[in-house]
Amino acid sequence: MKMEQQEKEFRLNITRKHFLTKAGLGLGGAALGGLLFKDQLFGSASETAMQLGVAQFAPKAKRIIYLFQNGAPSQLETFDYKPLLNKMHGEELPASVRMGQRLTGMTSNQEKFPLVGSTFNFAQHGQSGAWVSELFPHMASIADDLCFIKTMHTEAINHDPALTFFQTGAQQGNRPSMGAWMSYGLGSENANLPSYTVLLSRGRGNGQGVYSKLWTNGFLDSVHQGVVFSSGEDPVLYLNNPEGHDKQSRRAMLDMLAKFNAESFENIGDPEIQTRIKQYEMSYRMQSAVPELTDFSKEANSTIKLYGPDCLVPGTYAANCLLARKLSESGVRFVQLYHQGWDTHGNLEGDMRMQAEDVDRASAALIKDLKQRGLLDETLVIWGGEFGRTNYCQGKLTKESYGRDHHPKCFSLWMAGGGTKPGIVYGETDEFGYNIIKDPVSVHDFHATVLHLMGINHEQLTYKHLGRRYRLTDIAGEVVQGVIA
Amino acid sequence: MRTYKLHNQIIASLLMLLQALMMVMAIVSLESIPGWTKQIGHLHPILLHLPIAFILLLLPASMILKNDESDENQLFILFLHYNALAATITALLGLLAAAANEYDQELLFNHKWLSIATALLSHLLIYLFHWSKSRRSLWISAVVITSLIMMIGSHFGGSLTHGEGYLNFSNTKKVSTVFKPLTDSTKIYNDVVQTVLINKCLECHNDKKSKGGLNLNNYAAFLKGGKTGAAFVSGDLEKSLFIQRISLDLDDKKHMPPKGKSQLTSDEIFLFKEWAVRNADTTTKFHQLDLKDTLRSIIEKIVQSSLSSKPSKSYTFEKASEDKIASLNSPFRRVMPLDIHSPALIIKFYLKEKFSPKLIEECKSISKQVVEINLSTMPADDKTLEMLSGFENLEKLNLNGTAITGAAFKQLQANKKLEEIQLANTQVNYEAALLLANIASLKSVYLWNSKVSDKEIKNLQSKFPKIKWDIGYISDKNELLKLTPPSPTNTEKMILDPGENITLKHPLPGAQIRYTIDGSKPDSITGILYTKPFSISGLTQINAVGTSIGWLTSNVSSFTYFLKGHKIDSATIINPPAEKYRANGEKALIDLNKGTPNNLNLNWIGFREQTMKAGFHLSEGKIISKVILSLADNTGSYVFPPEKIIVKGGIDKQHLKTLGSLIPVQPKAQRNSSILPVTVDFTPGAYKYLEIEAINVQKLPKWHPGKKEKGWVFVDEVFFY
Repeated sequence: MKMEQQEKEFRLNITRKHFLTKAGLGLGGAALGGLLFKDQLFGSASETAMQLGVAQFAPKAKRIIYLFQNGAPSQLETFDYKPLLNKMHGEELPASVRMGQRLTGMTSNQEKFPLVGSTFNFAQHGQSGAWVSELFPHMASIADDLCFIKTMHTEAINHDPALTFFQTGAQQGNRPSMGAWMSYGLGSENANLPSYTVLLSRGRGNGQGVYSKLWTNGFLDSVHQGVVFSSGEDPVLYLNNPEGHDKQSRRAMLDMLAKFNAESFENIGDPEIQTRIKQYEMSYRMQSAVPELTDFSKEANSTIKLYGPDCLVPGTYAANCLLARKLSESGVRFVQLYHQGWDTHGNLEGDMRMQAEDVDRASAALIKDLKQRGLLDETLVIWGGEFGRTNYCQGKLTKESYGRDHHPKCFSLWMAGGGTKPGIVYGETDEFGYNIIKDPVSVHDFHATVLHLMGINHEQLTYKHLGRRYRLTDIAGEVVQGVIA
Repeated sequence: MRTYKLHNQIIASLLMLLQALMMVMAIVSLESIPGWTKQIGHLHPILLHLPIAFILLLLPASMILKNDESDENQLFILFLHYNALAATITALLGLLAAAANEYDQELLFNHKWLSIATALLSHLLIYLFHWSKSRRSLWISAVVITSLIMMIGSHFGGSLTHGEGYLNFSNTKKVSTVFKPLTDSTKIYNDVVQTVLINKCLECHNDKKSKGGLNLNNYAAFLKGGKTGAAFVSGDLEKSLFIQRISLDLDDKKHMPPKGKSQLTSDEIFLFKEWAVRNADTTTKFHQLDLKDTLRSIIEKIVQSSLSSKPSKSYTFEKASEDKIASLNSPFRRVMPLDIHSPALIIKFYLKEKFSPKLIEECKSISKQVVEINLSTMPADDKTLEMLSGFENLEKLNLNGTAITGAAFKQLQANKKLEEIQLANTQVNYEAALLLANIASLKSVYLWNSKVSDKEIKNLQSKFPKIKWDIGYISDKNELLKLTPPSPTNTEKMILDPGENITLKHPLPGAQIRYTIDGSKPDSITGILYTKPFSISGLTQINAVGTSIGWLTSNVSSFTYFLKGHKIDSATIINPPAEKYRANGEKALIDLNKGTPNNLNLNWIGFREQTMKAGFHLSEGKIISKVILSLADNTGSYVFPPEKIIVKGGIDKQHLKTLGSLIPVQPKAQRNSSILPVTVDFTPGAYKYLEIEAINVQKLPKWHPGKKEKGWVFVDEVFFY
């Protein structure tokens, strides 16, 4: 077929959306009415109950840095001190405690469930008297800036669904991620950077995968997708001009491309084309904004010491924490870190030591650094994994080593800054560290609370898709008032 | 002379028709007309501007023009016709609009009849103009009367859609109330239910304006209900319209509050239902509810969340116009409201190279509304501060990482509301900080990494205790941290051409690198001080450390470099490798691609069931005296050095003799994984075919968890010299 003919047919190929738009605009009076009474004349175009791009009420936090500890760090070796387990070390987990809780395929065939106490010592820290294990001396030193939640619980018992649930509010993986919702609801602060960025690092412990569905925009506009900053020479892939092309030629190329795109938008009317035009323009400006962010050579010597020398090695957790601070400071609404390696099914002691060594200093440094710049009150920092770990040993309990399986019924995380109550411990678990006895916090509650801190009512941030309105909290979630300052 | 006669006649007859229709519609009930005709009524708010403008224009025009049929007046007569037509059509549309919506009946009555009067009077004016040629005063008073009636009628119309008092100039605000904290005397109806009603419903259902005839301002009126039925039926939630309407889908036309108005939250809906279930009782107090009562928890939730989502501060200044805010926004300057209701604005600047003080100056038009300015990392200097003095409501100023020295801090005394100033990473010194102490409203100052010392901060804190002076975290001078080890700039390229350089780097600016090439371990004083790139003469293991004053010397990092050997024509793998570890076949052995010992899935070929055995063809006829196998050493993954390596050679496969062999040293305990180069020397010769066999460990040692099992051999590259 000749090109001309193809083009002709393409133009004749009118989509429903196209037809409605054109037909609507063609009728002068209707068009005017359409502008003024869009809802009455053309049916609802609004997918959400709130006005987008601005907080609904005075936000306590303007930005979020989420330090996701991928693989699920054990609550029993971090912040939930259970001396009873040390006393009952090796004894069988009472059935009255387990109450038929579903187990993973990794321990469901075990004949015995011997309780195992933490091999690490615990001590109380700060005015709040929060218990922190010896693995985390730096976090312990800022206990009075942290808000520990000991009673998180989730629905999933395996990594992928649990992680997806934490990120998107559903286990299946077809919904927008938290950062995407945030970008959709509040818009971008700095138009020269994506409003949602993702940083990845790998620890030395037993690792679990992370994948791009965790930072997906789901059914939201693709501008809300998380952008990964990688550790190589090109932190943002394909951002730099290819060899032999300078800024002028890139500008000229983009101008020409924008012209083509504008033409095809006129013909097809697909809103995704305009998204694309905007994205190209943002990438062009990112060429100026990104190099400054990823250049650590101008950081003060004391900053390097604060985060630890690893922060100069791209791709480490420490480097990502420092980069997260710089991105956040530059107006990136949601910086998502993932640090792999917390899946301590066996050899827990050694793995936990290595993991803690890699994250303790830098996590605490991030809080201190934000604080000394006067930014902690407007930045919410979250540290935690996707579920907890069992109070009984996975595999055979020996003198040398033990392991813990996945446990969804209680686990700990901490938040800091951004309007959370500093120096508190929220919620209580039983003496076995197995069940919650006071103030449970579900993942939906957690999401509702985070949105609340950002000035959004979680029930009003909705998007209509496939005939129904979706929320990050789906049909559940209550703001946890007890952690809000 | 042109008279537009035909034109005028057509309009006049049209007017007769339409006005007759208008009168009929005004009297007859329009409730039953089809929905689409009601929709046309939506054009009413647009068209109504025409008669308003026309009639207001009549006033000056009728003063100037004489009432005669002169040429210039012909156009005016035409205008009078159009005026009447516009007024009539507008009134018609208004009647349709009234049929579609439930408006306050009293307001509607006034608006309707005054507007109809306006239309009729406008029609009358056409005839009056001809008739009153000699009675000018009559003509002018008729115009004035028409204008007045139009204005009063419009006023009622404005009140209908924008709420009463919209056109009054007295400052009446929308009523809204906040929850009082829960106490023993908190009444469920008066203090909770009623508060939600006031905030979400009373705008349209009050004493004056009761849409659908429903008034929710007092309990008696609530019980009475509206036009369509009882709001509350005791014991029957389904029949209680009040519950029914709020439960409908947002898209349902009967859903309350209507789409576009502030919606009830699911908690509030739940509250109303729970309250209705309890017979919509007005006397119960909060503290009388059982601790486990769902109504109790829902009330707690609503009240607490409203208390915590209350704006932290309310401002008395008015909002800046949205157009103004929009015009100031660019990728390099963001102007944002604190939240959707707040008049307060935040300004933030981005991209150093795009910054200029002009960007601040341009914001003068919103100087009243700005409560926060963030200039962090911008090249703003002391001069910039002058521009800030006009921002009278500024509370928070972020100057982190700017070129500010603080010499001009006096300027900031004009900012009487300034509470917080961030000066981390600046050249601000003690003297400059003292200038800040004079700002009475100031609460916190951040001075980390500025020119203010530890001691001076203490001084400031004791002199001005009302201000929180924050110098940030001072690192413990006695704490020594271990540096990270150095690395080559290109960690991918471990196979070099003869003479090719190796470049080492350390991430900490100013750190020194020491290295060795003899296998020994360097430290802060031994080894070669790295000053420039260097080349190697053969297989070399580089051990390197990083050192710097104030830091502990790093761990040793090791890198094994290979030199390219003779060109191999082809390779064949004789014994098959394990299914999972085949890389890209025999090519992998001679493709100059190295693997890493931690990832055995890439570039490595692994053998376990059979020994590693491969043949290599060399046609060039070069003298060969040495082979180097690049193996993996990863005891944790059962990858051990081979038990024995045998090299055979000859002119082809059929004529081979053993040239040499080697028995590598076995590890005595678990060790870190690494690249293990193994060299086998043999009698030099111009061999065309060489065969190498590496026999894997047949029984792992006793100390290993896999004792007695077979070990693996992994090879990624073979070099001939």
